[in-house]
Amino acid sequence: MRRALVATAFAFIAGPALAHPPPLGIPGFLGGLLHPAFVPAHLMAIAAFGILCGQHRVAWGIADLAAFAAGLAAGLGAIAVAYAPQWAGLALLVLALTSGVLAALAKPLPPFLGLALAAMTGMAVGLDSPPDTIKVDEANRMLAGTALGAVILFAVTRELSARLVQALARPWTRVGVRVLGSWIAASAALVLAMQLSR
Amino acid sequence: MPWHFWTVILTDMDRHAIRIFAALICLGLASPALAHSGDAMGGFLGGLAHPVLGPDHIAAMVAVGLWGAFLGAPAIYLLPVVFPLVMAAGGVLGILGVPLPGIEIGIASSAVILGLMVALALRPALWIAAVLVGLFAVFHGYAHGTELPAGADALAYSAGFVIATGMLHLCGIAFGLLARWPQGRLAVRAAGGAIAIAGLLFLGRLAV
Repeated sequence: MRRALVATAFAFIAGPALAHPPPLGIPGFLGGLLHPAFVPAHLMAIAAFGILCGQHRVAWGIADLAAFAAGLAAGLGAIAVAYAPQWAGLALLVLALTSGVLAALAKPLPPFLGLALAAMTGMAVGLDSPPDTIKVDEANRMLAGTALGAVILFAVTRELSARLVQALARPWTRVGVRVLGSWIAASAALVLAMQLSR
Repeated sequence: MPWHFWTVILTDMDRHAIRIFAALICLGLASPALAHSGDAMGGFLGGLAHPVLGPDHIAAMVAVGLWGAFLGAPAIYLLPVVFPLVMAAGGVLGILGVPLPGIEIGIASSAVILGLMVALALRPALWIAAVLVGLFAVFHGYAHGTELPAGADALAYSAGFVIATGMLHLCGIAFGLLARWPQGRLAVRAAGGAIAIAGLLFLGRLAV
């Protein structure tokens, strides 16, 4: 009786060991899909770079999207073989700061810089997305969801930014996009300083 | 569940088992230690509320927006882009513990000086306005930086307060746009005067 009770209590209290909780408590593919949108550092890095790409869509074409996807695939591939570096979170903040400042400045940038930033942002998002499960099948589903979620988030931000900057072509839309970049850069700078000062 | 059920179980168990059971219940009540906090929304809302809860910050931020609108283009466009970045630079100084004297005096003075600029309808050269606003941005950022919580949701918190600061600017800019009309211009200058008086009160409070 006592053993059964203790075993029941153990079963009751046992919970998953999570690096961070699945967004909204949703596991599997859907959890991975929502992951980039619900982890602030991921959201900021992708949004800042999306804004920057939207400002440069005419000059950069879709190469930035391809480079982002390639970097993301490489990062998630590294996670799949159990390489999850601690610096990935810090790299995301640095990239959010860089993209945010560049978006706020709104100066023309050479395509190679855009491609390099795209690949690095994608890779950092991938490397900082270890799945919150030890089951291989579910982990793979989460990684696939993260890949799709990050690409969708990036593509949507990029498109919105491009429309605001080019299609609407009003001063306040261009300024609005730059303000968003500036806000992201400011937030990233503060947290980066806090993490480096520890 | 009937109380009798638990009485029977507890009577049946020896004291050692009861201790283990109690310890397990305590473990069950404990929340997990996560690498990332899941309370990003809480952090964001906390940051969003932070500047709004400080009247000195509100006065100065609204004054910045008012003055930007009063100065017109390009100040009205540059201001909301540049201010958060300079404020973040001040925040970094605060986080790194770089000593900067007179922070509170600087914040209170920013309300006085910016309010007077609007009230007196002063239009200095753009670079002078930028240096002045930038200087005050450093003071405000420094104060925010020292108050940044050292939690895992710090990013959401800082995003919240940067956005709240930007929204206060926009409130000032929106009100400042009334300056296009003669009566609105009077209202904007009166608002500037009110902010300057509030700033004097903040300064007086510091002196006490």
